[in-house]
Amino acid sequence: MSIAEAISSGDASLLPSRRDEDWRWTDLRGLIRQMPAASPEGRAWAWDSPLSGQVDVEVGVVNGRGSTDLEVAAGEEKFVAWRFLSTAEAGAHNAELWVTVGEGGKLTLVESYEGVSGGYLANTMVNIRLAKGAKVERIVFAADHADGVSVVDAKVELAADAAYSQTVLTHGARRQRIETRVAHPGAHAQLRLDGAYLLEGQHNADLTTVVEHQGVDGTTSQLTKGVVRDQSRGVFQGRIVVAEGADRTDARMGHHALILSDKAEIDAKPELLIFADDVQCAHGNTIGALDEDALFYAEQRGMPEDLARALLTAAFVGEVIERIEHDAVREVAQAWAAQRLEV
Amino acid sequence: MAAVKQTVEHVESLEKYKHGFVTEIDQEFAPKGLSADIVRFISAKKEEPEWMLQWRLDAFERWLAMDEPTWAKVDFPPIDYQDSYYYAAPKTKDGPMSLDEVDPDILATYAKLGIPLREQEVLAGVQGAPRYAVDAVFDSVSVVTTFKKELAEAGVIFCSMSEAIREHPELVKKYLGSVVPVSDNYYACLNAAVFSDGSFVYVPPGVRCPMELSTYFRINAENSGQFERTLIIADAGAYVSYLEGCTAPMRDENQLHAAVVELVVLDDAEIKYSTVQNWYPGDPETGKGGIYNFVTKRADCRGDRSKVSWTQVETGSSITWKYPSCVLRGESSVGEFYSIAITNGRQQADTGTKMIHLGANTRSRIISKGISAGKSSNTYRGLVSAHPKAKGARNFTQCDSLLIGKTCAAHTVPYVEARNGSCVFEHEATTTKLSEDQLFYAMQRGLSQEEAVQLLVNGFVKDVLQELPMEFAVEAQKLVAISLEGSVG
Repeated sequence: MSIAEAISSGDASLLPSRRDEDWRWTDLRGLIRQMPAASPEGRAWAWDSPLSGQVDVEVGVVNGRGSTDLEVAAGEEKFVAWRFLSTAEAGAHNAELWVTVGEGGKLTLVESYEGVSGGYLANTMVNIRLAKGAKVERIVFAADHADGVSVVDAKVELAADAAYSQTVLTHGARRQRIETRVAHPGAHAQLRLDGAYLLEGQHNADLTTVVEHQGVDGTTSQLTKGVVRDQSRGVFQGRIVVAEGADRTDARMGHHALILSDKAEIDAKPELLIFADDVQCAHGNTIGALDEDALFYAEQRGMPEDLARALLTAAFVGEVIERIEHDAVREVAQAWAAQRLEV
Repeated sequence: MAAVKQTVEHVESLEKYKHGFVTEIDQEFAPKGLSADIVRFISAKKEEPEWMLQWRLDAFERWLAMDEPTWAKVDFPPIDYQDSYYYAAPKTKDGPMSLDEVDPDILATYAKLGIPLREQEVLAGVQGAPRYAVDAVFDSVSVVTTFKKELAEAGVIFCSMSEAIREHPELVKKYLGSVVPVSDNYYACLNAAVFSDGSFVYVPPGVRCPMELSTYFRINAENSGQFERTLIIADAGAYVSYLEGCTAPMRDENQLHAAVVELVVLDDAEIKYSTVQNWYPGDPETGKGGIYNFVTKRADCRGDRSKVSWTQVETGSSITWKYPSCVLRGESSVGEFYSIAITNGRQQADTGTKMIHLGANTRSRIISKGISAGKSSNTYRGLVSAHPKAKGARNFTQCDSLLIGKTCAAHTVPYVEARNGSCVFEHEATTTKLSEDQLFYAMQRGLSQEEAVQLLVNGFVKDVLQELPMEFAVEAQKLVAISLEGSVG
């Protein structure tokens, strides 16, 4: 079972299905009976993103082509936008990229997934390696087309004293999975792993994370929030593994979602797998509607119901966005959420 | 000096596994192995009607086509299903009998286990002491059921499954397999084919069962498996509290215990089901021997405002694979699950619950406390789901794990599926070790390390112990201490 293999061989039977435990809520095999043809080469980049002009480097990857690996030298600081585009002619394509950040290096990486029209199956593999003391903030804007299918699989490795922060923002797609696997082999590594999904229509989004603590004194702080309306479906799978000997690990995971329609669905699986005793691990998971008391309060103050709902929802999601460290990116994220939530 | 004496006695009572003895007794076995003929043999032994035999044969047929599940976080060598006896019974006449006819060795066994089989013994205690009726299952057969007469006066049927098939076929036909279908899972299907005995309870409409009912399961024979089947029906407005206990001798081989428990709860009825599971856990050093406890337990809350409460204290078994579940079908029905799972030595436990919300305004509550020590592994695995029609479904889940020692593992694997806009699900889980500060405080006050651990552990599991029927809470608390013996220092 591998999506990359399925795409390169054109064999749909290699796609993961709900029989695969880790894909039980994001069934690709059942969705794609026949593989789309391999994507043709896409045309060059044509439009600006809200961050164009502000970033040091802007890289475009069209239909899986044109990727260049990214390297941040020791002590260097970079702000990079990486844009992955699936064009109107796109079928199925793979892309694989490497990011290495040298000792003490600092990187702000804004990744966007942009689908021009539906019908594509895009698979992107990102490998990120942080050397000792390196610091990376990765923000993913998943702006796939409503009829697109997209899988992003990032593997992150943290050396000692490295710090990695991530925020994934998505409005979903026909099927979409954004997976992040982080290994903490080094001691004292710090990790923040956030996400927000705001879904409407028949969109699906699956945020999956796997964090493995192998070194001592690692910390993980994870906060994912979701809002689902109409017939959309949000999936959160978080797994924190603390290996034997990874003492004094402090890992906290939270997933909170608002389900705003009777036909929407949320599936969650927050897992803790602990093999060491000197640890503090916790997870919380809540799913429900907007707080009626808070709504009542807002309405009583003269606020129209729609506005009250929008404000409460925005405040709910805002907690994730406020955790974005980079000011310019946070502003773009705020605008993205405001547009989605119509505030 | 009373306190000192009590402590000494308490420490002395911390034997490794005090139920590990074997009763030497003449037993009758079915030929070793599993085949359609063995299924026929068991059915014939039980003098079952033709429909029951067909039901078993059909299950066996389906079982042959099934695969053993592998998703649980447990690890064991493949089981040779042909290398076991599927029927073992003390050599006496089959079926229920008066207590005087029961083999005195068996009576002695139960006396040694502290299970009162003589009604007058139960009564002989302090006035007002709680009474409870017992169905004693020894390997494949029920040897005796107490207080039947008194229960019958209240209209309650409490008997062995074999007897129920003969005496109350209409009830058995109606409900057997209606909660856990024959082909539900591999072990339940095996059970449907070869189940030997178990308890049957029917509480008629509006009756509050006058005493606690309990079944005591004992595996005695070597190389045998125990496959009991329990069916409890609480008719409209009825209430019953039921407790099961289990022990087995210490042996080097692994023995399989694959039971099925079905609960049917109609309008406004309530069943409280408590388990104190203390199967032999295997050798703590080598991991040799012990019971494989692969059990399917499910309650169907069919009626509106019905309620089921599962309480379990799991201390034994080398491997536990068990998920007592509630199907909340009736409107405003309630499911509860309180669990303490303790693993030590090389035990492995993968246990939890499923709360399936189908009806409107259904509520469920899960409190799970897992403790792992030694080289053991303890997993909570649970599902909470709300279907589109389950408007206003509500769940609260709390799973806490405690780790004692550097070589054990504790896992939490909850699944949450919400499919409508008015359900509210909350889940919280923590994993920590025993607090050094608290240990230090307790030891500074003069407690030994072992006692300090025990005190903290008892505090940790208190929420669940409170849910146990009074008379078993004390026993369970002691069991918690025994299970953790040798886990520190």
